[in-house]
Amino acid sequence: MASDDAEREEDETAEDLFMRDRFRLSTISIAESQAKQLDLEISRPIVACISDLAFKYTEIVAKDLALFAQHGGRKSVTMEDVILAVHRNEHLTTSMRSFSNGLKSKEPQSERKRRKTANRDLPYIPDISEILEDPDI
Amino acid sequence: MESTSNPSPSFDPDLIHAIYKHVWRKKAAELEKNNGASDVGAGPSRKNVIPSGANANALKLSCELLRQFVVEAVQRAASIAEAEGATTIAPTHLERILPQLLLDF
Repeated sequence: MASDDAEREEDETAEDLFMRDRFRLSTISIAESQAKQLDLEISRPIVACISDLAFKYTEIVAKDLALFAQHGGRKSVTMEDVILAVHRNEHLTTSMRSFSNGLKSKEPQSERKRRKTANRDLPYIPDISEILEDPDI
Repeated sequence: MESTSNPSPSFDPDLIHAIYKHVWRKKAAELEKNNGASDVGAGPSRKNVIPSGANANALKLSCELLRQFVVEAVQRAASIAEAEGATTIAPTHLERILPQLLLDF
């Protein structure tokens, strides 16, 4: 019994490490392609750091999604849950919503370029004057 | 590294799904343990705490969200690096943008 538990725990951490590594690989390719576009070098420790942050963020989002789906009485997570998870940031919500509309209306492969142009340079730091002028608020 | 030829690298939906499931499983195990310890009769209805999965589009959207997170981190750090006239993004640059980044996500 006790050894069973220990074994399972070991499996869990091995799986955890494996996922972290794969996650880090993806982060590296994203960060480096981004840095290349900006004509800057990015040092590996920072990419690793960003990757860890993103991984922790993923875990937080996972917990949120589980709660949202449960609250909605659903067994599986939907796009609305993901959008709900970012509702605090309006810019991000808008960008996620347009991405989800793209996914909904078209087949997954074709809107890659569109979203790229739509989202690049989108500042997420809200400008206070912009917020004050926004008639929706 | 292996996908440098890809014009716009992103996360793999399967990987994100695996991470989600892992987190949910861990959470469910924790809940079970707590329930066992306190031994309250209201156990069975709590089973549906874990979603059985996520739909494909939701996973793609999550990948996009995480990609945005990484892209934002790099771009914001890059803007600080550029302002300082550096050619390499250094830890201090990340440090400067970190608080606002974490507040924004």
